[in-house]
Amino acid sequence: MQEATLLAKMVNMEKYFGAVQALKKVSIEVQSGEILGLLGDNGAGKSTLIKILAGVFPPDKGEIFFEGSRVNFSSPRDARAMGIETVHQALSLVDIMSISRNFFLGREPTRRIGPIRLLDRKKMNEECEKAVTGLGVRVRSPNEFVSILSGGERQAISIGRAMHFKVKLLILDEPLAALSVRETREVLRQVEKVRESGVSVIFITHNVYHVYPVAERFVMLDRGIKIGEVYKKDASPEDIIEIIATGKMPKILKS
Amino acid sequence: MENSTNNMGVETRGQFLNFSQIRRWPEFGVILAFLILFTFFSIFSSKFLTLRNITGILTIVSELGIMAIGVAFLMIAGEFDLSVSSVYALSGFLFVTLSNSFNSPLAFIITLTFAAFIGFCNGMITLRAHIPSFIATLGMMLFLRGSLLAVTGGESVSYKSDIIMPTLLTRYIGHGFRPSHIWFFLLTLLFSLVLTNTRYGNWVFATGGNKEVARAMGVNVNKVKVTNFMLSSLMASLSGCIVISRFNLANASFGTGMELEAIASAVIGGTFLTGGYGTIIGVFFGAFLMGMMRTGLVMIGAPAYWYQTFVGAILIIAATINLKLRRLEM
Repeated sequence: MQEATLLAKMVNMEKYFGAVQALKKVSIEVQSGEILGLLGDNGAGKSTLIKILAGVFPPDKGEIFFEGSRVNFSSPRDARAMGIETVHQALSLVDIMSISRNFFLGREPTRRIGPIRLLDRKKMNEECEKAVTGLGVRVRSPNEFVSILSGGERQAISIGRAMHFKVKLLILDEPLAALSVRETREVLRQVEKVRESGVSVIFITHNVYHVYPVAERFVMLDRGIKIGEVYKKDASPEDIIEIIATGKMPKILKS
Repeated sequence: MENSTNNMGVETRGQFLNFSQIRRWPEFGVILAFLILFTFFSIFSSKFLTLRNITGILTIVSELGIMAIGVAFLMIAGEFDLSVSSVYALSGFLFVTLSNSFNSPLAFIITLTFAAFIGFCNGMITLRAHIPSFIATLGMMLFLRGSLLAVTGGESVSYKSDIIMPTLLTRYIGHGFRPSHIWFFLLTLLFSLVLTNTRYGNWVFATGGNKEVARAMGVNVNKVKVTNFMLSSLMASLSGCIVISRFNLANASFGTGMELEAIASAVIGGTFLTGGYGTIIGVFFGAFLMGMMRTGLVMIGAPAYWYQTFVGAILIIAATINLKLRRLEM
């Protein structure tokens, strides 16, 4: 196994929503080319943590490092420009827009005609079709609306889009919620492929069985506090559930 | 794939059309309705299909249509603008008053700038106060109309200035045609091009379709909305300047209720009330349908009151079809 290099680090993250402290000095690290499972019950602070990393809102305290340098994201656009992309169950595609318009949303290719810049719709359709077909999603046309796609196809397209734009860190926020058993398997296979291409993944879920097969390392959160961190070789899924349920690391796992 | 296509057949339009075909031609419904009514009026009134009547309709349609384009463009981004009718009246008044004191081109520029500022305020109020734009712009509509009535005391003001802007906006250019017709066509093409063929157009669709997704994908949703509020106001203002140049007279009560006609044109043209979907070509025909009914009904001998009745009926039918389409999308 090659030497792991640090890709992203969040140090002592704190975030308040009014009087509620959503994050209390949470620190996480992500190595290059690893899949990190971020686990916790509802309201644990998982989404808050990754939304900060994705630039949706800033932390109240704490520092973020990406590829060795300190970064401040003031919008998701900043984070995307650095190569951090989030795929969320409900927040990745606009239903009443075509697949190709969604695929390039915010990064539309243009062609110049004199002083005006128009969408390069031919390029959009061709590249989108190529990328989508490459993922094994069969659509009649990139002009189809996203609304006709199944949950699994949507996730495939969202992940494919991130890959197409050379993502370095892919954040998957509950990517398997509301997916069928077969679709779950297909998305997990795709996540493996993403990792094989050298991209790091943060996989957020409250269901350890979803992430256990693919991740190497797990971080557990509970009510805004990081309660534990284990490698797959040191813990079974049941151990991890026990940690989340009790909110404590058992002594034998502490290193 | 085969099955899903069959499920999406639109029953209301007959079996021969499936949904994906309609979606590619979203103007289909309004153009069909337009042609039916056009044929109907042509048959039942001998004077309907004359150049004079058609250009007369075009004049009304252009003034409503320019406003409707702005309203629809904003609706696609997911917001309403009810203040357009008051912006229309206020702009007319401002344009006449300033023209009489200075000259018409300067008056025109100041009027449009002021309208853009009102649009900016609409946007900021909606976004900062987190209230629905329906309420924010309803407030603005009443505020502006009330101020205008109070300041003018209901008195009309006549246009007594140069002919530069009136010539550019609405003076006859032969055979009953006016520059406003050309502006309406050009603005339809321009907005249509921006909506379907520019990055900004894609952001407008995304902002109205799902603003959380748009934001997550790096679109500056608030900027899109404020820009479209400003465009909506600008278009209403242009429309106001045109109509006042035609009448040579401004009155504080001009355009009352016109905001609903503009929204009706947009909805009849296939724009979703919920945002995220619509076409400017559809709005063009929507406005045309409205203007045509107004004169057509009078010409076939129906009392003018029936106009609203028909608009109401067509609006309900159009909104129902839109909703059915949307259900099929989901």
